[in-house]
Amino acid sequence: MKTLALAAVEAGGEPEGRDSALEAARAGDRTAFDLLMRRHERLVLRTAHRLAGNLEDAQDASQEVFLRLYRNLAKLDTGNLAAWLYRVTVNVCHDAQRRRPATVPMEDALELAAAGGDPQQCAGEAERRALLLRSLRMLSEKERTALVLRDLEGLSTAEVAGALGSSVGTVRSQVSKARLKVRDFVERYSRRRL
Amino acid sequence: MSCAIWEERVALFAGGDLGTAEAAAVERHLSACAACSALAADLRLELDGLRAAHAEPLAAERYAAVRGRVLAELANPPRRRVVWAWAWAAALAVAAAAVLVVVMRKPAAIPPPEPPRLVAIVPKVERPAPPERGSNRSLRSRKRIGWQAEAPAPLGKVGQTLSSVNQQVDPVLSRAVEDSPVRMVQLATADPNVVIYWLFEEKGEER
Repeated sequence: MKTLALAAVEAGGEPEGRDSALEAARAGDRTAFDLLMRRHERLVLRTAHRLAGNLEDAQDASQEVFLRLYRNLAKLDTGNLAAWLYRVTVNVCHDAQRRRPATVPMEDALELAAAGGDPQQCAGEAERRALLLRSLRMLSEKERTALVLRDLEGLSTAEVAGALGSSVGTVRSQVSKARLKVRDFVERYSRRRL
Repeated sequence: MSCAIWEERVALFAGGDLGTAEAAAVERHLSACAACSALAADLRLELDGLRAAHAEPLAAERYAAVRGRVLAELANPPRRRVVWAWAWAAALAVAAAAVLVVVMRKPAAIPPPEPPRLVAIVPKVERPAPPERGSNRSLRSRKRIGWQAEAPAPLGKVGQTLSSVNQQVDPVLSRAVEDSPVRMVQLATADPNVVIYWLFEEKGEER
């Protein structure tokens, strides 16, 4: 299980409490800010991709996240940069999705999945992979976020709660509902295909 | 069909989210319930599948594109934002000027209204006899008659305040008024269109 601390070490190798790149970026050094982006770009773009469902929207969201990072450098708590980035990434993706709702009702998602099924893929892993990717689309915004951060990003329940400004109990409930919905979606789709 | 009350805990168990005691309880249940055991296996399978589906790394160009766009925007903020900033500044300036004009043109504080002035106290001279039983006059019409004075008989001076009238009225007239069961007090206000008529009837209580 990966934690935020581990993510930070993976990202930069330098303890976040003494982040020289962050200090230099605060002083206006664009090269240092570029280094800061390189350290955290995987976290931001990957999470945005998982939440938004496509790379174009994820890139737009990542750009906005890093611009907000630049504008808030002076106010940031260096010890919680990864948590801050997760929180802002989630907020930016949610804002984008509210302008263009991405949640698909279960029945519509099943139709979409069935329509997208290529005869060659029907029995294959590719179809199953596409189905699982699509299953996230029919979760509610909060369920999808909790599932992405907990099960795909590998944060602990407490870290997810911290990043979302929520309680551990709420996150547990959202995660369990999301897992059950994904399983239900796959099962119903499989039944329909038979 | 899995047990509804166990579903949530089984879902958490599948993702390793339960503490030792809770996990042990779920394990005991799974060993006795085939449906929940199948659910747990499905959940683990879907979770592994989800992780695998999302494990594919993104191309390095995607990251580079984001970085390039961010640095370009920092170097050259889009004109759109600058224009909006100016538009906001202009709108704020106009609003501030409007507020200033309103404040400057605000009239002086409205003086408090003058207290009502006593115009007249009219005692009822004659009270009509109560209607006979069976009369079709309404109670309201009877009361209206009772309030009508034969002729206005101003007792106080115009302009007197209500609080001072008792001291200003002639004691003889004042006594006559006090003897009358229905009285009318007419009060003038600062607005000539508004006149207050105060009608009251004493019930004979001792003062």
